[in-house]
Amino acid sequence: MNMQQHRISSGVITLLAIWVCYLSFTERPAEAYLFPRIIAVFFLAFAIWTFGKALLGRSNTGVGLSYDMAVKMAPGLLVSVIYIFWAAKAFGFYTASTLTFFILVSIYDPAPHGKIGSWVKRAVITVGFIAVIYALFAVVLKVYTPRGMFL
Amino acid sequence: MEFLFHFGEVFTLTSMLLLIGGTIGGLILGATPGLSPTMAVALLIPFTFQLEAVHGLILLGAAYTSTVAGGAVSAILLKIPGAPANIATTLDGHTMAKKGQGARALQLSFIASLFGGLFGVFLLIFLTPVLAQWALAFSYSHTFWLAIIGVAVIGSLESSSVVKGLLSGCIGMWLATIGFDDIQGAKRFVFHPALSGGINIIPALIGLFAIPQVISMFAKGRFDTSVEQITVEKHPIGEAFREVFRRFRALGVGTVVGSIIGLIPGVGGQIAGLVAYDQSKKFSPEKAKFGTGHSEGVIAAESANNAMVGPSLVPLLTLSIPGSPTAAVLLGGLIIHGIFPGPKLFDTYPEVIWPFINSMLLGQILMCVFGIYIASFAARVAQVPQSVMAAIVLGLAVYGSFAVQQSMNDVYVMAALGAMMFFLERFGFSAAPLVLGLILGPIAESNFVTGNQISLAQDGPAVYFLTGTLNLTLIAIAVVSIGYSLWSEISARRAAS
Amino acid sequence: MKKLLAALAISLMSFGGMAAADYPDRPVLLMVSYGAGGATDFQARIVTIPAGNEDQLGMPIAIINKPGAGGRVGWNWFATEAEADGYTLGAYNIPHFIAQSIKGGVDYSKDSFEPIANWGADPAVFIVGKDSAFNSMADVVAYAKENPGKLTFSGAGLFVGHHIAALQIEKAAGVKMAYIPTKGGGAAAMKAVIAGDVLGGVNNLSDAFRAREAGNIKILGVADLERNEFLPDVPTMKEQGLDVDNSSVNFRGIMVPKGTPQEIIDNLAAVVPKMFEHKRVKQRMKAGGSPLHIMTRDEVLAMWEARQKTLEELLAGL
Repeated sequence: MNMQQHRISSGVITLLAIWVCYLSFTERPAEAYLFPRIIAVFFLAFAIWTFGKALLGRSNTGVGLSYDMAVKMAPGLLVSVIYIFWAAKAFGFYTASTLTFFILVSIYDPAPHGKIGSWVKRAVITVGFIAVIYALFAVVLKVYTPRGMFL
Repeated sequence: MEFLFHFGEVFTLTSMLLLIGGTIGGLILGATPGLSPTMAVALLIPFTFQLEAVHGLILLGAAYTSTVAGGAVSAILLKIPGAPANIATTLDGHTMAKKGQGARALQLSFIASLFGGLFGVFLLIFLTPVLAQWALAFSYSHTFWLAIIGVAVIGSLESSSVVKGLLSGCIGMWLATIGFDDIQGAKRFVFHPALSGGINIIPALIGLFAIPQVISMFAKGRFDTSVEQITVEKHPIGEAFREVFRRFRALGVGTVVGSIIGLIPGVGGQIAGLVAYDQSKKFSPEKAKFGTGHSEGVIAAESANNAMVGPSLVPLLTLSIPGSPTAAVLLGGLIIHGIFPGPKLFDTYPEVIWPFINSMLLGQILMCVFGIYIASFAARVAQVPQSVMAAIVLGLAVYGSFAVQQSMNDVYVMAALGAMMFFLERFGFSAAPLVLGLILGPIAESNFVTGNQISLAQDGPAVYFLTGTLNLTLIAIAVVSIGYSLWSEISARRAAS
Repeated sequence: MKKLLAALAISLMSFGGMAAADYPDRPVLLMVSYGAGGATDFQARIVTIPAGNEDQLGMPIAIINKPGAGGRVGWNWFATEAEADGYTLGAYNIPHFIAQSIKGGVDYSKDSFEPIANWGADPAVFIVGKDSAFNSMADVVAYAKENPGKLTFSGAGLFVGHHIAALQIEKAAGVKMAYIPTKGGGAAAMKAVIAGDVLGGVNNLSDAFRAREAGNIKILGVADLERNEFLPDVPTMKEQGLDVDNSSVNFRGIMVPKGTPQEIIDNLAAVVPKMFEHKRVKQRMKAGGSPLHIMTRDEVLAMWEARQKTLEELLAGL
């Protein structure tokens, strides 16, 4: 399965390289693409080499991604994507961060969900972390983060 | 020896307070993801308005040295390099921290930083006039080849395959061309409006290193976490000092490489750590141990980082040419106080410049002391449960990349690159070459394009880029470097089969 | 989702309305489209020092840098993404952004921004290395006539003040030279001259003044209508027989995006010039060798209008 995943990713990279090559040699003004052309040619050559080796099954593959892992990481990934691409701006940075932090810690915390104690602990950790972040970025560094609906 | 007469200015109450404050503040800022030394120094500039010139510069000098070293803290503990300078530190440092040897890694990194840093500042003190000429010898063609040498280093960073490493490097260099072309102002490869500002290096760095980790922690799921309980080892400081001296080869290689590269305007500290890491790997009899939490890796990378600080100021102080982004900000700090760097600087303002340089000497020592002090309890970060750690790293990554330019686009780019890197790593590609490409791409491109234009007014690109002793030497180094990597890969495969 | 966005928009609007009444109630950002440590960044940091004082804006101004592509990255962001609520100011560089908008390929033009006030005017100067054989613009022109297209000279990019000056010099002298745009602003262009990578260069007066003080370069001419107080001994281009006016002078000031409430613009236009006149600003700018040139909003509007015209003419042939 690892080899299969490696093959597919090498293939995708090769397609990317072809696309980059195509754009580099067709887009205008040509002077702006002088360097990208050089890169694109090497990019394509290395990509084809790697893809070829992968097809022959002669390359070192990575550790791969199992079905079990994909299932386990899905909720975390989903929460993170909502946080970064939507909630941070819609709710305001600090509100979204607090919620996300609490949800993520709760999802992946091995402590039993039935006990009040573990929920309190998660809440305390969340508040503590957000307080540190707030002190560092808002108070010391004066970073103005998007407000959205709340803060 | 004149610098010795100016220690008096540093040992006043105000100066010492600023020095200590600047060092501790610098360590904290440096350890914050997203805050590169350049940004930290730029943030401090307004404070120096209120101070006398000499005090302002003492603060800036202390902050510069300690932010560079502070970047190692997040590199080692969180695997988020604070700045490009700390990428190489993650390779062995974070592996050590994961084994519970975070205290050892931090101590080694601070001690190595101290030695590298002191050496660099002494170069600045004694050899400035000589070195200034050397810095000017590097023209566009030479800097271009230097960037190519950096690319050649990629070959040996990716241990499984040279070609695969170079492929990652090409992806990085291509990513760097996204956005506005710097000279012509044409939009290139902007297939989404969030990319119109290009890919900024700090957010990209955070994403490429932090996000794959976060996703990996998610992938372990809920019940795995208690299985691998890490015991954080205490590590005596004397032991750390002895170890640094036992590894004098790595220390020497790191210091020398860092000093030389730091001197060259435009390349600077960005790649000093990586090149030093690569060189000490090639010179080491224990090559296979690199990347598995080997102390030589940390020592070489961190001594190089801090060794570059002193020499990077040589072109600034003698010629008023800032050799690195941080030096450019320091130039602003000098000019604001009416001090114009140049060949006469040391004669006109000895009472300001020498204390500034002395503050960097003392700053190195203070940085090492405070660094070692925090090392023992900072290392407990490794014991933080995975569930909490994933959330912390994600939060820091988001805030850190936002803070760079206060831009949401940077956060999107950070997340997208990070997610892409997670899958690439799983499927057999690695992050370090890609990052190196991302850093070196713009350096190679701008020097190539400008050099090309100059050559067209002279004897043509072939003569400009391919003749001259320095050009040929640099090309030879690049060729040898790639050849060596290929040869060792082939011989390793023969040995295995 | 739609409802949510509507609610968001309403809350933002009410926020904006509130802001006009007791503006400013939080720190204000100033976007600089060049890197930290460059001339624009450094001057922006100086002129905003007094902002936090009660008799000034009353809130500190924080600088953020969005460098890239000669300022295009920053101004594009400012025109398309910056919130027009008065809390995001931008630094402008004339003729840079007007020349770029005439050239095309960017999302802004003169009409995308509302000027507030001008703080500085930094003329372009022609420089050569300290050991160069050139001692006047006449020497440069003579060399360029003998070696058409061979005289390399650096500047901070295409369609920025330096480039405009370069075009004007070439046009006035009737010669062809090799203008080399460098990446990394005036500092990189200066390095090329000092290191001898190029034969000459166009650079900022303020940077050139400091480099000459340091003994690294010679300054041959100023591209302005009259001599500068910092360089009383350097003749203008006109004095040397080159018909070059002040189109390339780099005017720096503060602007806001179009759509900012008029009350806020008026408020800023009244307060900001006073901030520039603060004695600490004057003192620091002088110490840094940076010419201060304060203009009010109306004067800047007229200046932008005039520049648009001259630049359209100059760039028409390209």
